[in-house]
Amino acid sequence: MPAADLAPDPARPAVPANLPAFRQFPVAWRFALRNQARNRLAWLLLIAFVPAWYELMAGIAGHTPLTFKLYATGRVLTVDGGHLTLITAGLNAVTMIVGFAVFAAIRRTLAFDKRLVFAGYRQATLVTAKTLAIAVMAAAVAGYISLVLVAFWRPGLAGGAAIATAFTVIALAYGALGLLLGVLVGNDLEGFFLIIMGSLMDTFLQNPLGNPLANKPVLQWFPSFGPTQFAVAGSLGHTALWDHLALGLAWPAAFAGIGLVIFRARTRIRTHHDR
Amino acid sequence: MTQAVLEAREIRKAYRRHQVLRGVNLAVAPGQLAAVVGENGSGKSTLLKILAGTLAADRGEVELAGTLGYCPQDPVLNDSLTVGQHLRYFAAARRLPSLRRAEELLARLGYEQYRGQVAGELSGGTRQKLNLTLAMLHDPDVLLLDEPYQGFDWETYLRFWDLAGDLRARRKTVVIITHLVFEQDRSDLLADLAGGHLTPRQSSAGEDDHARR
Repeated sequence: MPAADLAPDPARPAVPANLPAFRQFPVAWRFALRNQARNRLAWLLLIAFVPAWYELMAGIAGHTPLTFKLYATGRVLTVDGGHLTLITAGLNAVTMIVGFAVFAAIRRTLAFDKRLVFAGYRQATLVTAKTLAIAVMAAAVAGYISLVLVAFWRPGLAGGAAIATAFTVIALAYGALGLLLGVLVGNDLEGFFLIIMGSLMDTFLQNPLGNPLANKPVLQWFPSFGPTQFAVAGSLGHTALWDHLALGLAWPAAFAGIGLVIFRARTRIRTHHDR
Repeated sequence: MTQAVLEAREIRKAYRRHQVLRGVNLAVAPGQLAAVVGENGSGKSTLLKILAGTLAADRGEVELAGTLGYCPQDPVLNDSLTVGQHLRYFAAARRLPSLRRAEELLARLGYEQYRGQVAGELSGGTRQKLNLTLAMLHDPDVLLLDEPYQGFDWETYLRFWDLAGDLRARRKTVVIITHLVFEQDRSDLLADLAGGHLTPRQSSAGEDDHARR
């Protein structure tokens, strides 16, 4: 067969199947979750960095009044700069920690995953297990970082729920970005740099504190735009901007979609001609 | 000759302008142990990856009758998983109903005591044992091994060859890449990879040559 024909042949399983394919899922799911939870630096960041970051950012912002534009309604809120900055700091911590943890976990196991696929693991099973594990980890980190926020500011039940929801959406977006960069970039440093710089720019540009781009339309083109709008409207403007939350979900869908296509391509195997 | 279980025809591969393989042919019959020797950079690992299907050839074809196991030169493991977890993961990949063969290999290669240890904390030799075990878990008809005994101590090295002998006795086919001259007597078929071509040598076992230019 010409080399061009060295293509996957879905009709032929790599090995004789003894157990049904669905039995692969629980194993993949368990190990994917373990793999996500294993990052010691991420745990350290959660325990030590998150409270310190809130403390530092609240100290820098003080209680200066800031104006914040809600794009859905056109309203301009005048809010406590300290509260707004705590939301930004939380979003920033979520994005950095989730992005970093997912990126590291995906990169660490890419060659191993390819070997698993070669050994007969269904790509769809591995991909589903990984995606679910990332989503669970992202939601857990977002929940924790929302809880730590309460030690610095009590935004009320509805406000707190809005913030936790926004943190979860941005966590999913950066989890998906970590996945995308994990299968895309050439080395660890590139990935970490892109995540850290992306996260800082993205989240802090949304905050009007000392920011010349404050409330400008260009901010809509960043992943944390929707979640920031939703969190601020919910906690400081007593409004639920569901459209903006949905907009925030478009980012993880796009990142994950592209990332998973690349993951499939990079773990693809070539089957042989049968005699 | 017996029908080949693995046959490669006119395999060509270049990395940019560097032609590594220039039309390699190889046919291996059931129960044969084929050794491919060559200098560093001669394309041995490239050839094995193409035979395994993890790398695409530029031209040529590979035909396989039966199941395949491939042991890469550098162990591809997950450092956070234990030896036992690796076995369960790959048993799930192969959809094996039991870990019987895995247990047998653990015992034959003499590393049962590391079952609960994570791969990241294993010595180089034990990592290589696990790497080899994962390739053999499903008792494949054709086993491709890329210098599989790096880091093995002498006793393990001998155990490995015992294992290879068993495979041969059960009509399993083994293709092994090696650079050790004294191993070449163990093969039925010995071929040199040089200048992008695979050239058969008369081996001591006196089998028919199945490698051809």
